Order: sequence, then structure tokens, then C-alpha cells
Amino acid sequence: MNQNEQNFDALKKLLQLKQHEVPPPGYFNHFSGQVVSRIRAGEASYSQSMTEKLQAEAPWLVSIFRIFETRPGLIGTFATSLCLLLVGVVVFAERSEHASKNLIAISEPTAPTGNAVASLSATPLVAAIDNSNSGIVASTNPVTSLQPTATLFGQSGGSTLFQPAGFMATGH
Amino acid sequence: MIMSEPVPIVDSNTPGGMLEGDLVKHARRGDLEAYDELVKRYQQRIYATVYHMTSNHEDANDIAQDAFIKAYSALKSFKGGSTFYTWLYRIAVNKTINFLKQRKNKHHFSLNDLDFNTENNPDLVALISDKTPVREVGLTELQKKLNEALMKLSEPHRMVVVLHDVQGQSHEEIAEIMNCNIGTVRSRLFYARQQLQGYLSEYAKLA
Repeated sequence: MNQNEQNFDALKKLLQLKQHEVPPPGYFNHFSGQVVSRIRAGEASYSQSMTEKLQAEAPWLVSIFRIFETRPGLIGTFATSLCLLLVGVVVFAERSEHASKNLIAISEPTAPTGNAVASLSATPLVAAIDNSNSGIVASTNPVTSLQPTATLFGQSGGSTLFQPAGFMATGH
Repeated sequence: MIMSEPVPIVDSNTPGGMLEGDLVKHARRGDLEAYDELVKRYQQRIYATVYHMTSNHEDANDIAQDAFIKAYSALKSFKGGSTFYTWLYRIAVNKTINFLKQRKNKHHFSLNDLDFNTENNPDLVALISDKTPVREVGLTELQKKLNEALMKLSEPHRMVVVLHDVQGQSHEEIAEIMNCNIGTVRSRLFYARQQLQGYLSEYAKLA
């Protein structure tokens, strides 16, 4: 084993020769710069390829972006109109929500008489139902909408149907 | 009177004065100046390892650059379980081994020149065999024979020899870089040295 170690010592000395193999002078002065340049080029080509992909899939979007680039004032106008649209949608949603809540509260059978339809006649919306006397029952449940109220033996019992309250509200 | 050496002023706000961990944090955020500094710190060692594995300057240049670029793109996956240096080395080693597998046995030597200090190294000059049939063999010839002998080894055996006997890495570091245990590193090193000794005994006084 000692003989082997001695032999390997000589070999290790010979392998030191590899340490004396050096690249051309000044090689490392540019190495890191080249690496960083290649990274930058890679990032640029990646963003370019993303733009090309967008161009292929949604050219209208790219043309809008280009218009915005040339006319920065349009961005403000576009953003303002988007905000106004958003506010309008929120206001409209709140109003319709209030209306539907009122209808739900009204349609619940609270009167001790048991005649729900009769108790609803206090509001103008349901008054229309009451006045029409067509057998349609107001409901906010879309699943049960326009379902005939069948009797025990399959008889429809006239033209009595469920109908969403909202539909009635927009009707008049 | 003892003259102390001038201490270089280190500004920790510039990339050159930052610790490795801070540089890695900055580089992960896309700071290329910080990454440039990391490249400068490790470029020589990474290049040397790849060069000694390939015995080709151009290939080593390409692979070393690719390793640094790959490391930059994968920085977000670097969890810090090992040092950045070890992690970077692992990337370079894997890239080199993959390259050599693709190239298979087509060796194209493009050896770097020996530096001026080589001929003044008595240990190296003494190794030139006076028993060799090529009696006039010089250091350049010995360099070529050494590279040929290294290329006869399998990639894992060559890597262990390069990392340990040429680069001076410890068994533990090599095991971490090559993702194997220390016993494997030792056995590979022993086998590789035996092989090299057999290949080179004709050209150098190794026994």
C-alpha cells in the first residue's frame, strides 16, 4: 500500500502539469461579460417570442397596444371609461339585488290567513299577479320557474305556473 | 518596523464587496451586476474543471458559459441547501458529462499552452523519464500524453481525478458535487490513479 501511495505521489506531481495549462491571456477579462450578454439576449428573445405569440393569437390586442403607444392620451380615456363602466355595473347590480330581496321578503308566507298571493297584493308588482289571476305563482327560484303545480293524480289544475318575480318586474 | 500590507477598501454596497449570499439574493431578483460578480468569482474554477474534462478549450468555453447561464435561469430553484459554489459546480459537472456522452469517443484536443513557470518546476522536469523510448520527450509531449491518458478514463473516474488531484477538492466536496458517497469517491480515485499510472509509466518516472 505504501508503495502504491509513493507511486501515486509521483502521479499526483505529474497531474500538477494540468494546473499549468492556462487559457490565452485576457481570456477571463471578457468571460463574465459574454455570459451576461447571452443572458440579456436570451431574455430579449423570450420577450420578443411572447410578443410574437400574442400577435398570432390576438392581433387585435397588439394593435390596441400599438395605438396606445402612439397616443398616450387614449390610455387615460380608455381607463376612465372602464372605471365608469365598472361603477355603473356595480350600481346596477346593487339595485337589482335590492329589488330581488324585497320580492323574496314579500313572497314568504307570513300572513296567518295562508293565502300568500292575497297578502302580496300590497305591492304594485305583485298586484299585477293578483289582478291577472292567471294562476302563475311568483318565485325567485329558477329551478321551479314555470313548473305546473300538478295535483295528486297528474292533473295540472288549470294554468297555474311558477314564474320568476324578476320577469314580472321587467314586464311592466 | 513591520510594514503591513495595504488593506483593500471593500464597499459592501457594490457587488464586488458583497458576500456570496447577498449576491445570490440580488441575482435572484434579476440583478445582472450581482450575477456578473458571481461569475467573476467562480469562472476560473468552473472553466478549469470543464477544460480538464474535455481537453478542449473551445468546448470548455461553451460548456462553462452554458453552465453559468443555466444557473442564472435556475436560481429561483436554488434553495440554499448547499453553497452556491457547490450547486454551480454540480450544474457544470452534469453539463460536461452530458456533453461527453454525446460526443462519445471523438476526442478533439485543443490544449491550452503551458505557462512559463512549468519548465522551472523541478518536480515536473524530474518526472520526464530517462528510460522512455521517446527519450527526448519534453513537457509539451508529456502534457499531450497525460491528456490522452485522462481521456481513456470513464467520465466519473476522470471527474474524480480532476476534482481531487488537479483542482484540490476534498472527498466530501466531490461526493456532494457528484451526488455519491465518500466511499465511492475514494474507490473511483484509487482505480483511476492505477489506470493512469499504467498508461503513463512509459513516458514518466512514476515507479
